[in-house]
Amino acid sequence: MNSLKSQGFAPVVSDLKKDGSEWTVKEKIMLGLSPKEYWAVQLRNPFNWVLWAIYAIGVPILVGRFIFGLGWVTHSSYDYPWGLFLGWGLFTMVPLSASGFMMGTTVELFGRKDFKSIERLGLLNGLLGYLFAVVFLQVDLGQPWRLIYPMFVSLGPAAVLFLVAWHVATYLTCQVAELVPAFSEWMGFPKAKKFIKSIVLGLTIAGIILSTLHQGALGALFTYAPGKVHPLWYSSPFQWLHFFVSAVFAGLSMLIVVSTLTKWFMRWRCDENYLSNLSKLTLGLAKGASMALITYLVIKIIGIAHDNNWAYLLTGWGAWFMFEMVVGVILPLIFYTMAVRNSNASLARFAAILAVFGIALNRLNTALIAFNWQLYREIPHWRELVIVFTVYATYIVVYRAVLARMPILYTWKEKK
Amino acid sequence: MKKLNRRSFLKGGLAGGAAIAAVGTSKQALAGTHNFGGYPDSMGVLVDLTKCVGCRTCEAACNKEQNLPEPDKSFDDPSVFEERREGGLPRRTTEKAYTVVQKYDVPGREHPLFRKVQCNHCNEPACLTSCFVNAYKKTPEGAVIYDKTVCVGCRTCMVACPFYIPAYSYSSPTNPVIKKCIMCYDTRLKFGRPPACVEACPQEVMTFGKRKDLLKLAHQRISDKPDAYVDHVYGENEVGGTAWMYLSDVPFDKIGYDTHLGTQPIISYVKEFLGMVPMVLTIWPALFTGFHLLSNRKDAAKNEENKS
Amino acid sequence: MGGRKKTLLGMAALMLLTAPLAAQSWAAEGPGTVELGSLANYYSAVTFDHAMHTGVAASCAECHHHTTGLAPTDPNCARCHKAGDKANSVACKSCHSDKRFSAEDLAKIEGNPQLHHKGKLGLKGAYHQKCLGCHTAMGGPTGCQDCHTRNDKGDAIFHSGKYAPAPGASDGHGGGH
Ligand code: SF4
Ligand code: SF4
Ligand code: SF4
Repeated sequence: MNSLKSQGFAPVVSDLKKDGSEWTVKEKIMLGLSPKEYWAVQLRNPFNWVLWAIYAIGVPILVGRFIFGLGWVTHSSYDYPWGLFLGWGLFTMVPLSASGFMMGTTVELFGRKDFKSIERLGLLNGLLGYLFAVVFLQVDLGQPWRLIYPMFVSLGPAAVLFLVAWHVATYLTCQVAELVPAFSEWMGFPKAKKFIKSIVLGLTIAGIILSTLHQGALGALFTYAPGKVHPLWYSSPFQWLHFFVSAVFAGLSMLIVVSTLTKWFMRWRCDENYLSNLSKLTLGLAKGASMALITYLVIKIIGIAHDNNWAYLLTGWGAWFMFEMVVGVILPLIFYTMAVRNSNASLARFAAILAVFGIALNRLNTALIAFNWQLYREIPHWRELVIVFTVYATYIVVYRAVLARMPILYTWKEKK
Repeated sequence: MKKLNRRSFLKGGLAGGAAIAAVGTSKQALAGTHNFGGYPDSMGVLVDLTKCVGCRTCEAACNKEQNLPEPDKSFDDPSVFEERREGGLPRRTTEKAYTVVQKYDVPGREHPLFRKVQCNHCNEPACLTSCFVNAYKKTPEGAVIYDKTVCVGCRTCMVACPFYIPAYSYSSPTNPVIKKCIMCYDTRLKFGRPPACVEACPQEVMTFGKRKDLLKLAHQRISDKPDAYVDHVYGENEVGGTAWMYLSDVPFDKIGYDTHLGTQPIISYVKEFLGMVPMVLTIWPALFTGFHLLSNRKDAAKNEENKS
Repeated sequence: MGGRKKTLLGMAALMLLTAPLAAQSWAAEGPGTVELGSLANYYSAVTFDHAMHTGVAASCAECHHHTTGLAPTDPNCARCHKAGDKANSVACKSCHSDKRFSAEDLAKIEGNPQLHHKGKLGLKGAYHQKCLGCHTAMGGPTGCQDCHTRNDKGDAIFHSGKYAPAPGASDGHGGGH
């Protein structure tokens, strides 16, 4: 598409075509291309080839999971009830999607209108991340059709997961609402946008509450397993705080990573305003992330001191822990700080990649690698891995499709 | 401007309302389970490991009583004792076996020690407190039972159980559920009868009775024969106490028992988080509305300045 | 020894009245063989060679505690029954309940706060702990079917014999990984 644009193609940016007639929804879905052009573009894209390869293997296995049961795609472990579906799909995707509430807070609450051009990307990153976390959850649940049970059929309100379920559900609704403006512009329903505008502050505050609680709750879920999670990744009083604070820099870093990807691969879709502000905003996000990182580092150390776990640092687990802390926390912190000081957005982008890796490592460590540390290491079944790739590929496809169409990376030109 | 803010805040608050209501009940429920300590007259089982001969009659009896699927090997096949699951660990409870007997060759002990494993029916069960559909129930008789018709299959109880007890019927595509020992509640305990495994055991390894009486009995056995037992009733205090308790002549940590579980029920490790939930719910809205007003005032002031 | 013999004879006579023993043949010191069958369910009854066992046991008290009037061998019993308290019946069953842990059994224990023997074994436990304890220590037979053969019902519950699972029947999900 980038090359198409350089050849003079003009993407849809308003209700009206150049000649003054209105785009139909179908035309908008086709990105304003003729069907023939559209499919030709899709076929030319080598990334799509990779996706098709993943789907060719992954879709039958995903279908098989629902026909033959979880036992067919996982090792059916009783000792490791949670595998990659939750370890990656829930525990990693959700913090990486924390950008939604943070951009909302920054722009709507703190009145930093200068972040406006990246706010919607932040919100979308949040919404899709959560949506696919739920998809992953649905793959993992033994009886996905009972997902609404904790909501309406049989309530276990004293359980942490109950809180997660309710909060993720309400927060998803919240995020959908926050993105209604983008959708309504694109579809041409100005009324919906107006309504959301009038409640945006309430939505944002609800978003902060819900996010604080469920990001923390994901950590608190592991406090149920005091003997199972390695002490270096476990802290009864601080686990929720560790998860919440790390979600802050995880969300911001993911936003930097995604915005970088859009700048490279979806440049055709970005407008001048977005592209010209991006470096500055990246540094703004970097500053926020570095503050969260230093807070996280301090409370991690407090966590270790509180339980007096210093001795564990000298073991093999300690080395692994230090690796996670250095690569995923300390290095990003240093790079972010240097990037902000020298106004070096590229360095901030590199730091963001490290931080995202660090978060993924931390969540996988807590949920899988350092879980049952006194027993044995569980190596996921290959089919489990294939399904994770398949669902994640779908996440990327949907993400890309929305970005290509709705006014996320560009500003909609309203009818006068 | 201010008026609009308040109004819009109230409207948006509705969105979070459901969650807030949900958490409100969560606090009450928490208060309900707080320091529960078990029903006073609940039943229990005292397992005297020194007496077990590893005949696996209990496994056979459980299989029949609970209508479990056919075992992989006969119940009189001793080769199961040598079976190792991942990590070189002995057999554990599965979706097909609510109880398994493990064999430990203890150096210096003349005969191997056999250990029967099943749900311990905790006083404040981790499985129960972690379940988000409230499938579990601790009955006044002492059993920890569960309603498999509401089990969603999140498997948090398996993560939470400190004894690695609940199993899951992964093999079922259409109706997978949690599977674990229910102390024969439906067919026996409810009617005042002892669990099937207790009754079947030829050695009377297990003594069924009121938990509080069993505790006295356990300590009496230890004091009667101080050389025959280690001075520890496993389950008396572990994770807040369990209905099934154990006596052994070998230190418990040498025969696969986790002796580092502490005496607090598992839920107490989660209380810090649950306790801060209402705080966030009440303080956050005020705090962030305040931030908002402050930052906007600054903007307004700036605008004024620019104008003048 | 003469006194003891007499006691045993008297005791055996009482046993006739109280114990549900299917067949007894008499030897000089108590019954020659005893058919232990009141609990037989998954196994056939045990034909217990009492005469042979009186020969190997150091004292009747090894098995009968204080009920035969002899000093008990267990020092814990001796705390109260030092001299041996002769009981009206020496049959295992008269003291060891064959309905251990039943509601009645538990109520009986509960209802008697004076009762010292709160943890007293049931009949099955008493048999097996006594027999197997000694057999293990003295090298006697310890396999289940060394003493009583398992019947068809027993084979069924043990999934053994003709009820044995087909080899390789495992679906691979039984091992917990
Ligand atoms: S039936 Fe009794 S003796 Fe046999 S294995 Fe089970 S607990 Fe041990
Ligand atoms: S042993 Fe495990 S499964 Fe059983 S009641 Fe306790 S926590 Fe629940
Ligand atoms: S109590 Fe019942 S369900 Fe539990 S192990 Fe014994 S026989 Fe099985």
